[in-house]
Amino acid sequence: MTINEETNLKEKKAVQGMDAYYDQAHLWGRLTIWMVIILSVLLPLYLSFILGFHPGWGPIIAAYIAYAALMGLAWTMEPILYFPTLGVSGTYLAFLTGNISNMCLPSAAAAQHAIGAEPGTKKGEVAATLGIGAASLMNIVILIPIIFGGSYLLSVLPEEAQSMLQYILPAIFGGILGQFAIKKPRYAVIGLAVALSIMLSPIGALKNIFVAILITVLVSIYLDKKIIKA
Amino acid sequence: MRDVMEVANSGVIWIFALLIIGLVVTQGLLFIRLASRASSAVGMSPTEVRSALKTGAISAIGPSLAIMVIAISLITFLGDPLTLMRIGIIGSAPIEALGASIGADAYGVELGSSSFSPQALTTVVWTLCLGGATGLFVVATFTKSFGRAEKKITGKSKSGSKMIIAVTTAALIGAFSFFVSGEVVKGHVHTFVAIGAGLSMIIMMRIANEKNITWLKEWSLGLAILAGLLVGYVVTII
Repeated sequence: MTINEETNLKEKKAVQGMDAYYDQAHLWGRLTIWMVIILSVLLPLYLSFILGFHPGWGPIIAAYIAYAALMGLAWTMEPILYFPTLGVSGTYLAFLTGNISNMCLPSAAAAQHAIGAEPGTKKGEVAATLGIGAASLMNIVILIPIIFGGSYLLSVLPEEAQSMLQYILPAIFGGILGQFAIKKPRYAVIGLAVALSIMLSPIGALKNIFVAILITVLVSIYLDKKIIKA
Repeated sequence: MRDVMEVANSGVIWIFALLIIGLVVTQGLLFIRLASRASSAVGMSPTEVRSALKTGAISAIGPSLAIMVIAISLITFLGDPLTLMRIGIIGSAPIEALGASIGADAYGVELGSSSFSPQALTTVVWTLCLGGATGLFVVATFTKSFGRAEKKITGKSKSGSKMIIAVTTAALIGAFSFFVSGEVVKGHVHTFVAIGAGLSMIIMMRIANEKNITWLKEWSLGLAILAGLLVGYVVTII
């Protein structure tokens, strides 16, 4: 056997190894994700019809449409945008694990960097998979005791701190809006101006999340275009 | 409020949460095994496999702890098991907070208010679960064809994808502005809390971006929530 043939054989074996790897990744990736999808539908069905807390389909459909209108692009574009970094197996892992941009992607990149594997290559994909897999397990190990400890902590907080808990929502919303404002300060000014005028307007029908989103998008994009042209 | 938390922390919701966590753990272990087996085919040594695993696990510690700060603040609205399964795993805090607020809004109540009934909670659970399932459906159905789609999209003009990002960002800003304004009209303490959290976030992100401090980026939302609450506390005692 010549050296040439030997390397050919090695490459062939490697390609076969990766083909089997992808077959397995697709199989197990889809199977686990479908099981979670089924559980995700069973849980609200249980609350609605076994426990009898069904709120009616009206609010459910309205909420889903609003949520889907906001997140639809992310749901479809995120997997495509992250695919070059995550690869097949990394995609299945990251989207089931959640916290993609704040945990999975940094862990994948760190794992690739640690062993000098380029993103987008097969070696990079295997490294990303190992990195995200380990990150996911670590996350769960940290998560469970903290959730239990956390609810205990909340129950023993001094009264003053307890009374501050009613202000958690404005704190969360303010913080997240700040996160976006860094990226697009102008949009945030427009968004707040629009939403505040909606809230303070006497017309109740305007106090709707769709109205806020639509006007913010239209005004932001219109002004963006005008500035680009000028 | 008490009734709804009894439902939110009930045994059956715990069973669902633990089943889902079990699936996430199973998938993680399976994929680690698959990747370790394939490692030699891509020219990776056993040392490199261990190094990749170790790096991934260590890199998750910071973000994971940061996630928990936000998760704990949401326990008061959603209860333990839902927070565990939606914010800690599968989802992410900002998106799930958005979904929960939309769900409560559609039922005509507010998260955590005295009128937040088991029915309102059920609306929230429908919103979060159906939303999450839609995202997972896309991944389960189309990952096989993403390889091709990715080439097509990146091949197309860059202005198209820039436009998509701009519209999405504006839409999310519109949504969160709506929620912030809803809080602002409740009174001056709410207003100061929102401003405190927003401004501290902007300052932290500025510093983190300028000096390239990764941990500050990871912790920014958790710290911003605490900063907002602190500002609120100062305002109430003044």
